[in-house]
Amino acid sequence: MAAKTTLRRIMRLFGISAKMDLAWLMRDTMYALAGITADMIGNLSVVSGVLLISVRFGGIGGMSADEVLFMMAYSTLITGLFIVFGASNNIHISRIIGRGQLEHFFIQPLSLKTQLITYGFCPFTGGGNLLVGLILLIIAIQRLGLTLSVGWILALSGHLLTTMVIIVARSYLASTLAFYAPVAAEEISSTVIEGTWLLSTFPLSGMPAALQVPLLTILPEGLMAWFPALSLLGKPPLGWSAAYPMLFALILTLITSYFFRKGLNYYVRKGSNRYVPYGFRR
Amino acid sequence: MSGKAPTVMSPMASAVNLQGVTKRFVQWQRDNTGKGMLKNLLKPEKKEITALLDVSFQVEKGEFVAYAGPNGAGKSTTMKLLSGMLLPDSGDIAVLGLCPQRQRRELMSRLGVLFGNRTELWWDHPVIQSYEWKKVVWDIPEAVYHQNLEMVTELLDLGGLLKTFSRELSLGQRMRADLGMLLLHSPELILLDEPTLGLDVVAKRQMISFLKKINRENGVTLIVTSHDMDDLEEMAQRILMISGGKIAYDGSFDGLRTMTGNLTRLTVATDNGFVPDLGNGGPVSSEKGVYEFEIDLAKTPIQELMRQLSRAQGVRDVEIKKAPIEQVIARLYQSWR
Repeated sequence: MAAKTTLRRIMRLFGISAKMDLAWLMRDTMYALAGITADMIGNLSVVSGVLLISVRFGGIGGMSADEVLFMMAYSTLITGLFIVFGASNNIHISRIIGRGQLEHFFIQPLSLKTQLITYGFCPFTGGGNLLVGLILLIIAIQRLGLTLSVGWILALSGHLLTTMVIIVARSYLASTLAFYAPVAAEEISSTVIEGTWLLSTFPLSGMPAALQVPLLTILPEGLMAWFPALSLLGKPPLGWSAAYPMLFALILTLITSYFFRKGLNYYVRKGSNRYVPYGFRR
Repeated sequence: MSGKAPTVMSPMASAVNLQGVTKRFVQWQRDNTGKGMLKNLLKPEKKEITALLDVSFQVEKGEFVAYAGPNGAGKSTTMKLLSGMLLPDSGDIAVLGLCPQRQRRELMSRLGVLFGNRTELWWDHPVIQSYEWKKVVWDIPEAVYHQNLEMVTELLDLGGLLKTFSRELSLGQRMRADLGMLLLHSPELILLDEPTLGLDVVAKRQMISFLKKINRENGVTLIVTSHDMDDLEEMAQRILMISGGKIAYDGSFDGLRTMTGNLTRLTVATDNGFVPDLGNGGPVSSEKGVYEFEIDLAKTPIQELMRQLSRAQGVRDVEIKKAPIEQVIARLYQSWR
């Protein structure tokens, strides 16, 4: 009998991924540290650019410099979570699909969902940005004089989770194309997610609603940090409900689920005429 | 996995049961000319490939079956269908009494699959780390894991490899390590697609004797594809041959020989440069007075052959052997074209 996917089993799967990540860090320490540092520098340079502008001009579009700092902290936390849970291309799934590597997942006695959630977990080599994000968050909270409560921490966790769901759903929706065009769409996930990442760290406050609305709906870069950060500060933009990102995440997840299943069915009916032997396990 | 899957059938004895399985693929045809490229934009040309056409066969538990056929015959497609990686267009598949698509998770805890050109090992970790990963993912009980680890380490001579990074292994070592990993969860059925691909003679011998041993002693059912017919003949008791998507032969290797006319290789050594005349068009090769003939015993009975040999002058030595299976298969493949 296949083992049941209990919470304990999921924790063990996270555990083995974490153990392998630590082992990798300890064995190839120099390379791992270089990688972690590069990740942190890359992300810090993105957020510090925006932050410096806001400091120089005393805020951006009605947001104070400290509020922008809070938003940058949120963005860095999201980048950190993305890296911690998304190593091994499990978020950039178009690479796995396009390279014909899903077959490696089919031969494991676990649901595809469980495998994809747990196997890219790298808290040690990927935790740098998460740590920086936490430090920035603490500084921003102090500077803004926010009073922390259990409710606020839960709201922060909920927003972070929602943003992650939106990122993963966007990636998987775009990655569906890789079922049909494996070569052309192999990198589509990174194009969709990382290609517009700079936009997601820009405070949209002060922009016309005609620009803000599309960036909260069609191309939801405003939901990556701007909208949730302002919601957590008690000022959800456009007078929309702070729960809007959750509604968006739900709708996007349903759409993604429908198209991804269709793509997966296509994959198992037609097969993949392509196989690339690298990248699915490091 | 989702999608329309065939129903479970014959859930009892057989390790594998295929009934009327058909699988077709579409290949896009590309023309390299400007006109062709334009035409491709408007109306792409497609070609339908029939990988399997109404294929039925059964493999009983404990059997060691060779699955052979020319390139593009449908061998890998069959392996993928059996391991739930592909859905058939029609027909029913049962593996260990389970439907590979609907009961994939349960099946995978009892099945082992290895494609010779792929690895399940983690590239940047020592082999033992991949094994420990497998223990968690397959939820292998500690005692079973350690027992199997000990067994594969000894039988596949993995002692010196366990702490080596997978990326630093040679092809033969990697295959051994992969095979060891495959066995950690005590699979009842193993599907191996070209496991001897690219292996040197020593590595090949090691792998063949190991596979025979686990089949004989542990009762593991094995289905192996390979292009190396000599390897297959040494390993398997039964050969299933596929050609053009259909089962062209299902039986013993000796039976396969009779299909091509009971081909026999006769070597005759003579003195003083005599060339024996066996009335079959002459030798296929000769070197320093040693002549090799291909004799079809279905056409020339052994008694008649002996009579001809006794009449030949200067015969010093005679050796009669079964024709190499490779040669038999080559004849078959040519006849199927």
